[in-house]
Amino acid sequence: MAKKKADDETTPGADSQMLRAPAEVLYAAELEHLMKNDKYDRPPGWRMSARAVLTYICGGKSGSMEITPKYIGHQRLVEIAISTLITDRSLLLLGEPGTAKSWLSEHLAAAINGDSTKVVQGTAGTTEEQIRYSWNYAMLIAKGPSHDALIRSPIFRAMESGTLARFEEITRCAAEVQDALISILSEKRLSVPELATEVPANKGFSIIATANTRDRGVNDMSAALKRRFNMIILPSPATLETEILIVRKRVKELAVNLELKASLPTEDAVAQVVTIFRELRTGQTLDGKNKLKVPSGVLSTAEAISVLANGMALAGNFGSGEVTAHDLAAGLQGAVVKDEEKDKVVWQEYLSNVLKKRGAEWRPLFTSCSEHNS
Amino acid sequence: MNSWRIHVFGVRHLSPSGAWHLRRFLDKVRPKVLLIEGLDDAAQLIPDITRKGTKPPIAILAYTDSQPVRTLVYPVARYSPEYQALRWADEHDARAEFIDLPADIFLGLQDVEAERMERQRKKAAEDAEAGADAEEAKDTATPQNLWRPERDESIYQRIAARCGEPDYDTYWERRFEHNLEDDSYRLAAFEFGKALRDEEDPPLWRAENLVRESYMRRRIGEVIASGVKPEQIVAVVGAFHASVLTADLPAITDDELARLRRRSSKLTLMPYSYFKLSTQSGYGAGNHAPAYFELLWDSLQRHELGELPGEYLSHVARYLRTHGTHRSTAEVIEGVRLARTLAALQDGTAPTLRDLRDAAVTLIGHGDGLVVREALAEIDIGSAIGELPKGVSQTSIQGDFDRELARLKLEKYRTTVAQDVKLDLRENRLVASEEAAFLDLHRSSFFHRLRMLGVQFATPVSTGQQSATWAEHWRLQWTPESEIALVEAVLLGETVELATSFQFKTQLESCTSIATAADHVTNACRCGLMASMDLARQRLQELAAVSSELKVIAHAAFQLSQVVRYGDVRRFDPAPLLPLMEELFVSGALALHAAANCDSDAAKDIVIAIEELNRVSLEHHDRVDETLWLERLRLLSDADDRNPLLSGFACATLLERNLINNDDLVREVSRRLSPGIPADLGAGWFEGLAKRNRYSLLARQALWEALAAYIESLDAEQFKRALVFLRRAFGVFSPREKRQICENLAHLWGLDEEKAFDEVVKPLSDEEEKTLKDLSEFDFGDL
Repeated sequence: MAKKKADDETTPGADSQMLRAPAEVLYAAELEHLMKNDKYDRPPGWRMSARAVLTYICGGKSGSMEITPKYIGHQRLVEIAISTLITDRSLLLLGEPGTAKSWLSEHLAAAINGDSTKVVQGTAGTTEEQIRYSWNYAMLIAKGPSHDALIRSPIFRAMESGTLARFEEITRCAAEVQDALISILSEKRLSVPELATEVPANKGFSIIATANTRDRGVNDMSAALKRRFNMIILPSPATLETEILIVRKRVKELAVNLELKASLPTEDAVAQVVTIFRELRTGQTLDGKNKLKVPSGVLSTAEAISVLANGMALAGNFGSGEVTAHDLAAGLQGAVVKDEEKDKVVWQEYLSNVLKKRGAEWRPLFTSCSEHNS
Repeated sequence: MNSWRIHVFGVRHLSPSGAWHLRRFLDKVRPKVLLIEGLDDAAQLIPDITRKGTKPPIAILAYTDSQPVRTLVYPVARYSPEYQALRWADEHDARAEFIDLPADIFLGLQDVEAERMERQRKKAAEDAEAGADAEEAKDTATPQNLWRPERDESIYQRIAARCGEPDYDTYWERRFEHNLEDDSYRLAAFEFGKALRDEEDPPLWRAENLVRESYMRRRIGEVIASGVKPEQIVAVVGAFHASVLTADLPAITDDELARLRRRSSKLTLMPYSYFKLSTQSGYGAGNHAPAYFELLWDSLQRHELGELPGEYLSHVARYLRTHGTHRSTAEVIEGVRLARTLAALQDGTAPTLRDLRDAAVTLIGHGDGLVVREALAEIDIGSAIGELPKGVSQTSIQGDFDRELARLKLEKYRTTVAQDVKLDLRENRLVASEEAAFLDLHRSSFFHRLRMLGVQFATPVSTGQQSATWAEHWRLQWTPESEIALVEAVLLGETVELATSFQFKTQLESCTSIATAADHVTNACRCGLMASMDLARQRLQELAAVSSELKVIAHAAFQLSQVVRYGDVRRFDPAPLLPLMEELFVSGALALHAAANCDSDAAKDIVIAIEELNRVSLEHHDRVDETLWLERLRLLSDADDRNPLLSGFACATLLERNLINNDDLVREVSRRLSPGIPADLGAGWFEGLAKRNRYSLLARQALWEALAAYIESLDAEQFKRALVFLRRAFGVFSPREKRQICENLAHLWGLDEEKAFDEVVKPLSDEEEKTLKDLSEFDFGDL
């Protein structure tokens, strides 16, 4: 979730008809600047040094240029990710829905190779051919097997060019299909028996895979394949401030997109909603003094965003145009109590043990929420 | 004073590389005298420290021999530069001396500090009282601070952050522990200490350092005056002090020295443990990963620092394997590569502990920190315990125990003959001093503490007189086992009080049940340890928050309420417990309705829980959310889908509070017992109703009318079923009460009261007995 869209929408590519340009196009200026000012050694096959990649993703300065942070919060995890790719190991990014796994993988590939488009998008229907290679059958029948008749998969192409391939949602593929990666990753070569040949991977080749922890059980990866990846679990935003930043940004964008006719929620309202979400998600109050029961839902940052947007819609259409506690309470009720009796008790307990004691600022929200929950 | 310049080697305490460089430096310089930063008067202990049979970690302990007890602990591990310096001196027949302030002055300084804190606290309390309104205004002005945690940064953290490191330990390890170039450590530490002196720091801390340094200069001067050449002296001190041990700065004068407060004290050695070492925080006293640093020390000794990452990660993998999780050697190899790359990313020459830990999580834990958490704790901290040769020390805790016995006038009980002591915890108003007035209370706290430590000196004698909270009865007997247990307790702390606190802390950390945590709260209160009680309270809160088991929550709430209620006997302030009691009460009240959906076996526990919560609500009606409680009770009382016994019991509870009037009661009774409702449900409800205050039931004529009408309405088959339950319900009534019921019912049915009762109390005939037995055993199923 700790992602931040480009503030600078005037970068080349933004004015084209493309709905969404890949990262290397969107941030071409930043990448160029970083490469120009790069003073450190580049690992083989990389366009810039490991430190420059880190600066590109976590933000900082490159010469005179301010680099926008693409991933906010967990710099150490990015360091581990980059170090993994230097050691020619493959990287597996795990996390709950919406923890910026694909976002991070795209930007890593964009920074390291200037090309984030060699992607296998994993689904239940993905076949082994999409990982290895397939044939142009017309040509195959006409001329027999030849290099020209070969249709190379993104991974195949990445091996040839010594670059990064991305594998999205790897656990959604059938286990047999996933296992096609095992020998590619350990031997770093792909055999094409039809042509009696083998394609060795060039230096710089690696794979960044992403997988959803909520869906882990669907097609769990085999131990043999797991062993070939360095695994990083991407967590929810680390601090309240980070999360408030993300939520405010997204709410603002949504308000424009959806043409909500209410003024933006106050900073306090955002802080309060995010606080409630964080406390219930982590099962303790922010000061760490009180433990809390955790409701059954995910309570992701995305939901906090929708609670606030929903509050704006209510305020705009049926209220005064100012988001009040009353407008937020309904959304909070829906987000926390997922049609279970247990959640209701959890929510009630949180209200009377925590919110009630937080003083005048919280009083309106407490009152509205209690009304909704009774 | 003539000018002198000696060799000074600045170190970080507990730094393996420091020890390694120091030994090389000593081999090169070959000094005659080694001056070490340590308690001046602890010099007598040096032979014991280096003696064969002494196995670090050990600690030098200084403690005052009078109340209030103050202590100072200087732990040393095998890889402490100070320890290695002492070893070197021993091996090369050099003289070793300690040159820091003597223990008396350190402990005196602690006294001054404690008094200052006390004054500050009092002043704050007064301010709060005087300006309560102003305080409130301030509160509303910055409400964020109430729920947003604040972070404060120490001087060391600031330095680490400036160098782009996440914490000071990583900063130090990367910059000091991995560099094996000759003299690199000494020179770097010297510069570092010098730079550190330019940083802003708390003035008091700075002042103490200045006093210590001027004393060290005085001692150095003395040693030189005794005829040792300056170049034959090496001083081993903390890096912070390294740059000021020169003749250019003044030494402390006799006059100044005499003005410092002193507390008479004793010194001893004690065995220490790595676990204890890792729980101490602060620059000098602690070491977050003692076992890891020992690994580092060992690999330095073997000149194999490069092998450390592999060794560390192999240990992790091996730990997991022996605990049933398979991890391959390939993963260890990849882990080493990742750790090295991470280090290179920060310009380090070797991975730091943080890099190794992250590599272990990524590779060996497969990204999940939980998998390797235990293994890392074991390998970072370890479980090593130090040893001292027999007879080396009278441990401080033994000394403390003796002092406590004297203070509490208990010396005569220190015999192997068991003797009884009866304590009256209340204030003795006949004596003059406060100490004497609460003698028994202090004794009680002391006994409870010993019990916590497993020292079987005092055992409680149950008196059966439960109600008197101010009376306690103990049996005292001194045994050799007690002595051993006491000596072992020194690992937990230096005095009985400190050891007990530590015991609480460790037990609470491993405590997983709400009931135990609640017991700990009570126990800590009995031991008179407020800090431990607060820890226990926190732990209880953590555990209770994630549970919704009514029985334990109610019991915990009840226990807290008892502690709060009787706290004044033990002269303690119950305020910190109140919020938790309120919280538990709310959780309990909310959990009631769900918990009441149970069978009759489980219902027994719930009845107790309701009783307990009800007592809490009665005793603390001004604190807890009584409205919520009554609301939930009424919900249960009105519910038809919960255990009828509990509904009846809830009804009785409300009845007792006079919250149900006669008409409503009659309506409820006839609704519950109306024809068509299965008899066991009706009777179960009645049983619950009869479980509480029976007199209020007996007095309500309307109730009996309704019951009489009910029994009349039953047909023969239903009556048989109802009989079993009603019999059970009335079985617990006393003969007198039964008689009253008889009278009530006989009156209603128009029978002769006397005769009816005779009929009831007459022993059952065999035939009747059998019929009843058959009925009880008869499975009514779903008739």
